[in-house]
Amino acid sequence: MTTPDKDALGEALRNDLLALADSKLVLANWYTTCVHNGRSLPDFAALLGMATATFGHTRALYLYLVNLGCDYDGLERRAQPAAFCSMNLLDRPPEDWEDFIATVYLAELAMWTFASGFLGHPDRPLAGLIRKIGEESYFHLKYCQGWQSIFTETGNRRYGAALAARLPAALAWFRAQEDDLLQAAGQRDLPLSTLCQSYRAEVLNSLGGASAGDGPPASLDGWDPQRRRAGTMPQRLFEIIRLKDPGAVLR
Amino acid sequence: MKPKHIGRAELGGPATKFYEVFARATSEDVLAHVGSIEAPNDDLAQVRAWYVYDQLPWKEMCVVPTEAFISVTERGARGKIREM
Repeated sequence: MTTPDKDALGEALRNDLLALADSKLVLANWYTTCVHNGRSLPDFAALLGMATATFGHTRALYLYLVNLGCDYDGLERRAQPAAFCSMNLLDRPPEDWEDFIATVYLAELAMWTFASGFLGHPDRPLAGLIRKIGEESYFHLKYCQGWQSIFTETGNRRYGAALAARLPAALAWFRAQEDDLLQAAGQRDLPLSTLCQSYRAEVLNSLGGASAGDGPPASLDGWDPQRRRAGTMPQRLFEIIRLKDPGAVLR
Repeated sequence: MKPKHIGRAELGGPATKFYEVFARATSEDVLAHVGSIEAPNDDLAQVRAWYVYDQLPWKEMCVVPTEAFISVTERGARGKIREM
């Protein structure tokens, strides 16, 4: 097997980290938009805390991407929905509380599973950033587990249905190109296919072994491997996530 | 009468419980009571406590169900006496 050149590796890493950062940007906006659907005052505080942490992950990743040739202001000020690389899973807004928790769980777990592949990255600042993201994602996943327990105890079927309906889009996000360059070069600890299997197993385990969501990844027309998504972010979502005051970009 | 450590049901959720929150900022600090939190289960209590009491970057935080506390002295009393 030939060793991939430095430019190709840099581009692959940039694409993966930008897909992660943009997905976190959208997820943070999910949290802020849905905060008033929290079940109580402490729930609002938890949702706002998770929003803040997720915005922080986004900005930290954007700043790291400067090392890979990205322009920070350019990332913040993108003016077209086509410029964003967020996961398709988060395109469609939540339909109810169960769908919200199911989607947030799938997104948080997918992002952490994906990011954890860089825990052993040879660039220690990146590995450290990923570890910090993992420490904060721990609480986000625990929040989802708390609600999953309630749905299980109360026999809430809407949650399982929402999880099963959203899972194929979540699995599609892991889709790798023919060769996982980053893994081959020692920059990703495990192949994406292995991370995807681990992700699927954990989600199905959370469903109590139910096979309802055990389908193949979604077949998405127009899949763009560089942006790790199909098509363009919906305009309505773009209006929510776009930077409202371009003059307010701070470093 | 409902015990004080049992809260009301949350919107769309089960009844909540109260938890006491303890934390320390450094290894040298004692684990001190920082407040209480209401939640439907242990997982949500941990997350809510973490985000509500985020005034310091805690090195350690614990939550304890208020119902687990055993009072050694009665509240406001100088000492217990054996009831006959």
